[in-house]
Amino acid sequence: MRASFVGAGLTCSLLALSAAWAQTPTPAEGQPPAAEAPAATTPAADAAPAATGAAPADASATSAAPAGGQTHGQRAAAEAAAALAAGEDDEPVILDAPAPNSRRVYVNDSAHFASLTQQFAIDTEEGRVIGMTDSGFLPNPVVSDDGSVYAQVSTTYSRISRGEREDYVEVFDPVTFNPVADITIPPEGHRFLVGTYPWMSALTPDNKTLLYYQFSPAPAVGVVDLEGKAFRRMLEVPDCYHIFPTAADNFFMHCRDGSLARVQFDAASDAEPQVTHSEVFHPEDEYVVNHPAYSQKSGRLVWPTYEGKIYQFDLSSGEAKALNTIEGLTEEERADNWRPGGWQLVAYHRPSNRIYMLVDQRAEWTHKTPSRHVVVINADTGERIARHELGHGIDSVAVSQDDDPLLYGLSTGAKTLYIYDAETGEELRSVNQLGHGPTVISLSDMG
Amino acid sequence: MTFAAKTRTLLTALALTALGTQMALADKISILTETPAPAAEAPADAVIVNIAKMKYETPEVTIKPGQTVTWINTEAMPHNVAFKAGVVGDAKMDGAMMKKDQSYSITFNEAGTYAYHCTPHPFMKAKVIVE
Ligand SMILES: [Cu+2]
Repeated sequence: MRASFVGAGLTCSLLALSAAWAQTPTPAEGQPPAAEAPAATTPAADAAPAATGAAPADASATSAAPAGGQTHGQRAAAEAAAALAAGEDDEPVILDAPAPNSRRVYVNDSAHFASLTQQFAIDTEEGRVIGMTDSGFLPNPVVSDDGSVYAQVSTTYSRISRGEREDYVEVFDPVTFNPVADITIPPEGHRFLVGTYPWMSALTPDNKTLLYYQFSPAPAVGVVDLEGKAFRRMLEVPDCYHIFPTAADNFFMHCRDGSLARVQFDAASDAEPQVTHSEVFHPEDEYVVNHPAYSQKSGRLVWPTYEGKIYQFDLSSGEAKALNTIEGLTEEERADNWRPGGWQLVAYHRPSNRIYMLVDQRAEWTHKTPSRHVVVINADTGERIARHELGHGIDSVAVSQDDDPLLYGLSTGAKTLYIYDAETGEELRSVNQLGHGPTVISLSDMG
Repeated sequence: MTFAAKTRTLLTALALTALGTQMALADKISILTETPAPAAEAPADAVIVNIAKMKYETPEVTIKPGQTVTWINTEAMPHNVAFKAGVVGDAKMDGAMMKKDQSYSITFNEAGTYAYHCTPHPFMKAKVIVE
């Protein structure tokens, strides 16, 4: 859809000019005075050291982490100045993003229900935006664990927010951000328009099928064949919500009656899906949040309640195996009005088997306001490992799936992604100006 | 009776909801009034289906062609009667929302099974069998 880096060359040229201008009158230490070496005629050998920092001239997005306190902008300016001084021509090109890795995240800005929205691809190691994609009304992003598939289920209208509605699935190349598939969903398959719940759309583990939820006129799940680039069919399902795929033909849902439903389906035929229900696992007055964490790789489903109790399942066998239910907050904390809250308020780190949950002191029924703390919990034992103060009101949390993970805290209000050391809770860097109201963080579990 | 004057065909009702969609199945059902009526004004000979506690209290009623079913919402939560595409016409049909103590009446003209649901509560489901 868009070439995210158009204009980058031009920006560099301008930076180069201004940087060169600013630096000409000030001779760098140990260099001859400017009068002896005017910028316009300075040979490369003399001018390059003047661009303090001596960063490599390669200004690609894969360059090393910022050193010596330079911001990316300062470094780019220095590099551009050096290039200009060296007499290098500016050749504007469309850049590629670096290959997806375990520290790439996608931040979805649903822009407070605006008709047109954006996604930001971010290199969180660098703290840099490395690409963007556009989409329509309340798109649902999906990212495969191997990083190869980045797709959105989206909705547009022929006149911005009115006129003919079109739902579609768009798949992007994760390096060029060019669309590689655009699959129309027919009207009978129109999707659920809702504040973005990550697990309302999902990929099967083989990345060949995308499943999405339909609420009205009756609960159903749409099957989109990504490989064949075609909408396949709607599956009628019971009164259940969310989609947690475990195999090419199998997924789980959470039902109004408090059970999980296992749905086995055949994408190719019209056969009714086979549905079996688990035991009811939570009472009617115990409310589970809209943003559970699900590790498709391990099959672990982590589902907090409004009061911070955490239900867990192992879905990996294709059967819903209940794991131990733990308390994410201590008795004292609960007595002191600590509760989870936010949007994407829980994350699960598969390699260490840890749960990260956003919590704060709050009144009941304020469960969608941001939290200033995250608790870190051993998923098996329920043991509290840490409670980090995040320093910001955080709406959504996520954790990279490498062994020395980064913790991500997204503030919808500040439109900023804060990047922390997951072990210490120390804030390392941040990326701001992420749209109008970013809410959802997606990433790959590449380990 | 004022009801007769207020009677609208399905075509009219659908024209209002589906703006210009051409409907060929105008006579499968007739909607007594487009807007909900006070419960007390339900037709005397109608089959009543009460709505309470997020349920249609009679999930299945069997009637004869030409008979009328009247739904009465007995709780504050608004509910309606809605048909998926292909049930009473090519397009879907969403009846008006009934507040507490309001009613909505539909006359079923043709034999068949008419599954319906509540638009904002798709888990509320029931059917009318006309034979
Ligand atoms: Cu209802």
